Amino acid sequence: MSFLQALRSFFRDAAINLVRGWKVSLVAVLTIAVSLFLSGVFLLASRNLARSVERWQREARVVVYLTPQTTAAELAVWARRATGERWVQAVHPVDQRQAQERFRSIFPSLADLVSGGSEEPLPASLEIEVRPAASGSQEQLSALAAWRLAPGVTLIDDDREWLAQVQGLVAVIRGVGLVLGLVLLGAAVFTIGSVIRLAAFLHSEEISILRLVGATEFYIRGPFYAEGLLQGTLGGLFAAGGLYGAWLLVRQRAGDALVPSLLAADFLSPDQLAALVLLGTAAGLIGAIASLRGETLRSSS
Amino acid sequence: MGFRRGKPLIQLFHVSKHYPGGQAALSDLTFEIGRGQFVFLTGASGAGKTTLLRLIFREEIPSSGQILVNGRNVASIPQRKIPYLRRTMGVVFQDFRLIARKTVFENVSYLPRILGVDLRGRKKLAYHALRRVGLAHRMSSFPPELSGGEQQRVAIARALINEPDILIADEPTGNLDPDLAREILRLFLAVNQRGTTVLLATHDREMIQRVGGRVLTLDRGQLALDREVVGTEQPELRLGDEEDPEAEGGRASGSAEDLGEGKDVKDESGGEDEGGLAAEAAEESQVDEAGEDAEH
Repeated sequence: MSFLQALRSFFRDAAINLVRGWKVSLVAVLTIAVSLFLSGVFLLASRNLARSVERWQREARVVVYLTPQTTAAELAVWARRATGERWVQAVHPVDQRQAQERFRSIFPSLADLVSGGSEEPLPASLEIEVRPAASGSQEQLSALAAWRLAPGVTLIDDDREWLAQVQGLVAVIRGVGLVLGLVLLGAAVFTIGSVIRLAAFLHSEEISILRLVGATEFYIRGPFYAEGLLQGTLGGLFAAGGLYGAWLLVRQRAGDALVPSLLAADFLSPDQLAALVLLGTAAGLIGAIASLRGETLRSSS
Repeated sequence: MGFRRGKPLIQLFHVSKHYPGGQAALSDLTFEIGRGQFVFLTGASGAGKTTLLRLIFREEIPSSGQILVNGRNVASIPQRKIPYLRRTMGVVFQDFRLIARKTVFENVSYLPRILGVDLRGRKKLAYHALRRVGLAHRMSSFPPELSGGEQQRVAIARALINEPDILIADEPTGNLDPDLAREILRLFLAVNQRGTTVLLATHDREMIQRVGGRVLTLDRGQLALDREVVGTEQPELRLGDEEDPEAEGGRASGSAEDLGEGKDVKDESGGEDEGGLAAEAAEESQVDEAGEDAEH
């Protein structure tokens, strides 16, 4: 029997087994689908979050808030001083008047808060764009550390600080997803292995006859490997389909909500989706191989 | 009958088999079986008959000694080569070992399927094998629809489909009433007359006395007797008068086709005796018809 003939025969037998024992097979397929779906959710969330972080990093700024007493001349001096730094790409001085106008345009209903008082609530500031190549450089960190101690500076707000926290969150999500995915995938491999072992047990009589008439191990085990492979692939396809459905649902329902729209901004790339399905295929095959390793089939004959 | 002794096909040299715990199933067996012989293997339950058969078809390996089949030491055959050894043998058991959910055709055609024979070829082979046991018309039946004797005949057809050198049978009539047992025995004799070496394990001494032949008697794992028995009812057990269309000249007349329903099939394809393409084509169309619904 040629290799291709054998494969065709294996997959035909495997498909028949799947249909005949569809309830048990469904359990295995759903187990792997759920594990891959959850892994996919974490992958999707971390991917979207990481992309947002990348974008934010590109737009990251340093804002230097000066004391309310800062005059226009002092603001100009500070602006010249900042412009002289090599890590700085552009400097936008914002005086108190500009700060108030900006506040009023963003929060019209709160406009009264910043007008008519004796004390200016919004200080002048410098908005500094950082050169991407120099972001987080020692030079930048030293300069900001010195400025924090300088008279006239009340606060320095570096976007990189909170972006680092978000990046940490992305790493945590990825890690949790990886661990959860591995654990669930392990459970799925175990389930598929059990289903295949059960199938082998149910076919033990036939296996003994096959052995008796001179079937090779390849011929005897082939259909079971094909069955595991099919279960895994089906699980992967279900997971991919479910993930796409869930993603569409979240996008439809999310509206302007920040977190859902952030986490479901884009769907997985075709490569990632294919990898998810292939992971299911591999898990199915591994489950089948593991369940039939050693003397499992021999003892059933 | 198989009194003739040809070139050795199965040879045992000081074969012993011990199971864990030290229990000896077989002790120092030495004998040979010639090609084309019909040999009864007898002895009380637990004498080691089944163990001996299992050693020959390499289900087990001897603890000591050598078993040569067709000149090859079966114990030293690598695991991956065992299937090729088994393809030269047909094995029949007392409990038939048929798969209930598979048709007779599927049960019989395991080996051709393994060998990659296409559906048409498988049907043809299965048809021929089943015709030899008189069950060509039951290709699409399922084993539970058959009687015990018919099921055993299907098992024999499965063993014969590849024209094996050796047919090994372990108590093949043990589950059958005397009439059916007689019928099955006739089949084995017919198979032997076509040149296949038959090794039949049975504890039915009456049957051996009736049929006669070479008898190996085991007693607590040892070869107690190796003798030729002259059968008392040999002529009665001889097969019918009709020529086996596939039998080679010079062989004893009669074949399995003469038994039971097989006769009808043979009658329908009687043109084969005259040879020629027409007969072959007729047979092929009959094969197609018989096997049309057999595979599902």
